[in-house]
Amino acid sequence: MTNDWLRIDGLAKSFDGVKALAGFSCSLREGEILGLLGPNGAGKTTLFNVISGFLAPESGNVVLRGVNLTGKPPHRIATAGIARTFQDLRLIRQLSVLDNVLLSFRDQPGERLGNVFFRGKSSQDQEAANRNEATSLLEECGLAEKANDPAEDLSYGQQKLLSLVCCLAAKADLLLLDEPVAGIAPEMIEKMLGIIRDLPNQGKSVMLIEHDLDAVMQVCDRVVFMDAGVKVSEGTPEEVRNDPKVIEAYIA
Amino acid sequence: MEYLLHILILIGIYVILASSLNLIAGYAGLLSIAHAAFFGVGAYVAVLMGLHWETPFLVNLAAAVVFCGILGGVVGAPGLRIRDDYFVIATFAFQVIAFSVLNNWVSLTGGPMGLPGIPQPVIFGWTVSSHWEFLVLTGGCCAAVLWICHKIVTSPFGRMLKAIREDEVFAQAAGKNVAACKVLVFAIGAAMAAVAGVMYAHYISFIDPTSFTVMESIFIISIVIIGGAGSMWGPVLGAVVLVALPEVLRFVGLPSAVAANVRQILYGGALVAMMMWRPQGLLGEYAFRKGEAQQ
Amino acid sequence: MFSQLLVNALIAASIYLVVAAGISLAYSVTRFFHFAHAAVIACGAYSVFVLHVWVGLPLSISALIAAPLGGAVGLALELLIYRPLRRKAAGPLVLLLASIGAYVVLQNVMSLAFGDASRSIRPTSVQEGLPFLGARITCVQLISIAVALALLIILLTAFVRTRWGKMARAVMSDPELASVSGINVDGVILWVSFVASMLAATGGILQSLDVDMTPTMGMTALLAGVVAAVVGGIGRLPGVVLGAIFLALAQHLSTWIISTQWQDAIAFAILLAFLIFRPEGFMGKKVRETTV
Ligand SMILES: Nc1ncnc2c1ncn2[C@@H]1O[C@H](COP(=O)(O)OP(=O)(O)OP(=O)(O)O)[C@@H](O)[C@H]1O
Ligand SMILES: [Mg+2]
Repeated sequence: MTNDWLRIDGLAKSFDGVKALAGFSCSLREGEILGLLGPNGAGKTTLFNVISGFLAPESGNVVLRGVNLTGKPPHRIATAGIARTFQDLRLIRQLSVLDNVLLSFRDQPGERLGNVFFRGKSSQDQEAANRNEATSLLEECGLAEKANDPAEDLSYGQQKLLSLVCCLAAKADLLLLDEPVAGIAPEMIEKMLGIIRDLPNQGKSVMLIEHDLDAVMQVCDRVVFMDAGVKVSEGTPEEVRNDPKVIEAYIA
Repeated sequence: MEYLLHILILIGIYVILASSLNLIAGYAGLLSIAHAAFFGVGAYVAVLMGLHWETPFLVNLAAAVVFCGILGGVVGAPGLRIRDDYFVIATFAFQVIAFSVLNNWVSLTGGPMGLPGIPQPVIFGWTVSSHWEFLVLTGGCCAAVLWICHKIVTSPFGRMLKAIREDEVFAQAAGKNVAACKVLVFAIGAAMAAVAGVMYAHYISFIDPTSFTVMESIFIISIVIIGGAGSMWGPVLGAVVLVALPEVLRFVGLPSAVAANVRQILYGGALVAMMMWRPQGLLGEYAFRKGEAQQ
Repeated sequence: MFSQLLVNALIAASIYLVVAAGISLAYSVTRFFHFAHAAVIACGAYSVFVLHVWVGLPLSISALIAAPLGGAVGLALELLIYRPLRRKAAGPLVLLLASIGAYVVLQNVMSLAFGDASRSIRPTSVQEGLPFLGARITCVQLISIAVALALLIILLTAFVRTRWGKMARAVMSDPELASVSGINVDGVILWVSFVASMLAATGGILQSLDVDMTPTMGMTALLAGVVAAVVGGIGRLPGVVLGAIFLALAQHLSTWIISTQWQDAIAFAILLAFLIFRPEGFMGKKVRETTV
């Protein structure tokens, strides 16, 4: 819609004196895929942690659709329409693939204890509907036959795919994907990028951290390059790739 | 026959205790050694109301359940700030404080002398007096508790508990209110322990603080772990085995003074052995892997 | 009256200090609460009982033998239970539970061997207290303060000066880094377990000299030790001194207001308050929290 569907304003966060974010700002349009590039330690993951509420910024704001999310607890932010994956791949490894997807649905009536006992029918209906939806999501991305295996039995690539599916189940409007295709096989990368590329068609926006430049070129509408906690360059993938400041940062 | 009924009643009481602790420790992953405190506080609340105010049994039971539920929520709340082994120590601290209150607040609890002469429960005109009747009452409570546990653990709420147990960060990122969940489940577990306490007090018709010690808490958590944390039937199996054990020991001819120690040695040893070779217990699925480095 | 309370607090502090130093030391290298310490504490006391009363050795010699015996129990636990568990990558909860199991076993073995009634190794001739700043203090109590101070000084110097101490500190701050830089972490844990258990046993002996022994005595002592260690800040010896003094003062000065039976409750109320509001204690580092 407007330029500031998501507005990130002057975020700062430091760890024992190390400035992981030093006044980082950027914005995101609805239905846009924004690539986030930067050398190791640039503060990309920290940015995600702040947006999703796991870290409180020292200053700055995160505003989604005019609602200020700064300082809200992670579960509030998650239900406000933001889903994320983790760089170090978090899943409930002991639970089944299907359960992982089911867990990712937001605001389930069956998760309120009162409903379990007093409104059993409606929460069971919702659960059945979620189950159908989860199964079809798993079918679409080829994990259906693994649905009842524990998540830890999946290959690394499949686990990364599963965490993306979890974000889809969340029905979030904004997906924060932290290196979703790092370290996985080329066919799996294709599959994941295919899914990501299709997200704007479903009205979703994406912020994508990725070191793989080819992947970024393929899917991102726009790229922000950050280093040492601040934005260094911004523009189309082509522009950013050829920006002398970026080249300099990569060499340094 | 009466002897057999006695054992069955005790098993019923421990099934309630173990299943309720299993919700807290086995499903939500909040390892607690304070369960005997709720067991005891529940018993004392109901008994004191009955003795002083002569309120009906069911009212006392309800009051004990509510009181322990609230207390459980309050005690579970530190779990939001402190975790893993520090949380265990905190529950431990609560257990000691609770025992100390039961033992030292003599004007209220009778202190070490306990409270004798607990009247037989009367439920809508039915006076529970014989062993058979107590077995029916305990069995009924036991079934109710198991039914509630079953409903909880098979619901999306139960799935959420397991997620919190395995990875809080994932659960939060999936929009789960981890803090509220922990407090809630702790409160429910504590409330159920109160039911066991009320049954126990009225069955024995006498209570004193020595039934609600740290060792008792350790015994209850041992039942859960040996039976299998995080499974519906593990704690039931654990309760049957560990409660029947001393009777077996007596049966083989050990004097009862020695049997008490031998029983503890056996379950202490079993706890160590389980941790070594089968940390998920006989039937369980949760192996207390929290706080380990993620690879 | 007041000075007597202070003196009592000082004596309690010295016993807490010895136990808490052991707990703190063990926790900071092994990263789990060694619950069976409670059994080791009682083992120390009962070893003296066996050597002194049954075998007939002099009290001082019995104590000198009993302390390393307690250390040996700690070694056995480490070798038989904790090390195999650690090899299986067990976390702190599994280790804690195993330790609780070990405590239950050891305590009941002692109950079987010595009975649940209290046993005494106190010198039969009742000692007149020596006057001390308007209070009375017995010889045994003086000794226990001296022992605690001596142990503390030895520990501190060993930690700062010796190669062993440096290795232990390296393991405390980062076991993986220590292991990579060629330190034998298992070895360090082994001897730290020995030292920590010896401290626990010594605490048990001191306590039994003051108030006799029962098989469950270790529980109360352990609890006090845990409180002192947490309040002071786990892994910080100077903090532990502070914690022990703080706890002892709180317990004994509160007897002005309420009766002595509430000492346990007070100790634990303090512990709870610290765990909730300042889990790192007076001087410790931040404890781990969920991080992303
Ligand atoms: N929880 C934390 N505690 C201490 N320091 C941290 C923490 N998280 C991040 N940092 C530091 O903040 C800086 C930025 O880290 P961050 O993980 O955001 O980088 P990144 O851009 O995601 O790097 P990479 O490409 O390696 O994933 C680094 O110097 C890192 O060491
Ligand atoms: Mg990163």
